[in-house]
Amino acid sequence: MPQGRRIATTLGLAAVLATGLLAFDSSESEGQVQQQQQQRRKGLRPPPPVAKEAPHGAPEQVKREQQPGARESVQADVSARTVSVTSSFNGTEIVIFGAVDNSQQPSAESGIYQVLIVVEGVPGRIVARRKNNVAGLWLNTSSATFDLVPSYYAVASTQPIDEIASEEFRASHGIGFQHLRFMPAFGQSQALSTEDLKEFREAIVRLKQKEGLYVQDQFSVAFIGRSLFRSTIELPANVTVGPFETRVYLFRDEKLLSQYTIRLNLEREGIERHLHFFAFRFPTLYGIMTVAIAMAAGLIASAVFRKSAH
Amino acid sequence: MHFYLPVAEMSANIFIFLAMGGAVGFLSGLFGVGGGFLMTPLLIFSGIPPAVAVGTESAQIVASSVSGALAQWRRRNVDIIMGLVLLAGGILGSIVGVRLVGDLRRIGVFDFFVAICYVTFLGVIGTLMLIESINTMRKVRGGVVVSARRPGQHNWIHGLPLKVRFQRSKLYISAIPPFVIGMFVGLLAAIMGVGGGFIMIPAMIYLLRVPTNVVVGTSMFQIVFLTAATTILHASQNQTVDVSLAVLLMAGGVVGAQFGALAGGRLKAEQLRFLLAALVLMVGLRFAWQLIAPPSDVYSISAAAWGA
Repeated sequence: MPQGRRIATTLGLAAVLATGLLAFDSSESEGQVQQQQQQRRKGLRPPPPVAKEAPHGAPEQVKREQQPGARESVQADVSARTVSVTSSFNGTEIVIFGAVDNSQQPSAESGIYQVLIVVEGVPGRIVARRKNNVAGLWLNTSSATFDLVPSYYAVASTQPIDEIASEEFRASHGIGFQHLRFMPAFGQSQALSTEDLKEFREAIVRLKQKEGLYVQDQFSVAFIGRSLFRSTIELPANVTVGPFETRVYLFRDEKLLSQYTIRLNLEREGIERHLHFFAFRFPTLYGIMTVAIAMAAGLIASAVFRKSAH
Repeated sequence: MHFYLPVAEMSANIFIFLAMGGAVGFLSGLFGVGGGFLMTPLLIFSGIPPAVAVGTESAQIVASSVSGALAQWRRRNVDIIMGLVLLAGGILGSIVGVRLVGDLRRIGVFDFFVAICYVTFLGVIGTLMLIESINTMRKVRGGVVVSARRPGQHNWIHGLPLKVRFQRSKLYISAIPPFVIGMFVGLLAAIMGVGGGFIMIPAMIYLLRVPTNVVVGTSMFQIVFLTAATTILHASQNQTVDVSLAVLLMAGGVVGAQFGALAGGRLKAEQLRFLLAALVLMVGLRFAWQLIAPPSDVYSISAAAWGA
């Protein structure tokens, strides 16, 4: 299992690097292709690439740095747009990679740009309960229901998020645990004070963090080259299936330069998908099937053991 | 090796659950019980949601008791009339119990209720069995011949109407007490994820005065059909039966039970009862601890599936 995952990660990394290299000289290669096409039309063979790249590459880079007015933009993708939750699903790792177009930073270390990545799972309804000691016994006595609670929530960034974006920006874009947009559901079974709701809310975030479903890693996005960056997020085994939204923000000096959204999907696959569907769609039939399996298992086992005993 | 459970919606280690099934299967074969009162707590303590543990365990008890019931049937230890009366009451109790599981789960006190049930019933039954088996062992040592059947002892049960002749049990009593006992056991079976042998067997011995050899066979017979009905009810009403988990437990369980039954033949009845009593008490105490000990976190969260 871990070996397979390591291979997947390695492949992901390779893909990132390949994409990065392409993005690195994207303008050049486009030009090259155009030139080649023109040359082909004229019936000319393209000159050897080594001889061509050496004189052209250097002045181009200089030109780019000399264009401070050109606006940077960000593009990104994930290592897997569709993740299958099969019977052997035990969590997975997703690589998010992207590139800054018109990057003006001279190297990966210069830190001109800040990248902020938010990965959010399907919003749903969550009930939080609180235990109280009643006559020496612990039982749930109060509860609060919240709507639009993301099943999964991860924030990855190049540096602490409060150094990247202003409080207002984070609040309006739902970045950071305290700015999660979930809210108390209408028609609570119990009337709760604002103080209570706040405690329940904090409990949800804390418990989700404990389950590995809410993650914040302030230094997990790294620039690899002048324009390429990457990050990995961990989806634990208990993650809820459904659509995921990944938002990538590119910042410079607390100013948003560009934003990019990628969707990915966690889907049940194989036998696991059929069983889940069967159990929830045809519950009575599913129950009968389970009993039939149980009876058969018991009888077959006893037949086998009786034979081997004689 | 991990396996993603389709209903419990979690990744589980296959070998842990196979081993659990095997160990509990061995004990259930040894004592002639379904083993639910051991397996359901084990599942709950290993992180399976209590309602899923209860529903899934019902299915596993079907598998683990069907072969035993068949063996008892062949040995002519099943009183079929008694079994059917118990079963009729049992299914009624199970319908109510499954409904209760759904309701209690919605208001978030099912875990608590399960723990209370386990502490109460296992505590009382375990203590009674322990005392009884110690007394029997003392008498046996003293050379007194002990018979499980106590003929000629009449109590209020014999005054009830609707008398039925239970041939194999050598009884002529009202059908009401077995029906009520069956109903009560059915209710517990649905709520606690057990076959109910630990209630059924003492109730048949001490209340109905059924001979011990018929008690085990008859209770196994009704357990098979009661847990089958309970499984279907849990699946259809609460969607809390995980077939993958059940199959893992069955695979371990059916194998373990065969060895347990062999080992059981080498032990005396009162020794078996003493061991069972000790086990029952241990599980009860574990639940008591869960109720009394301060929780590591007073908060808990769960996805609200039915728009609670």
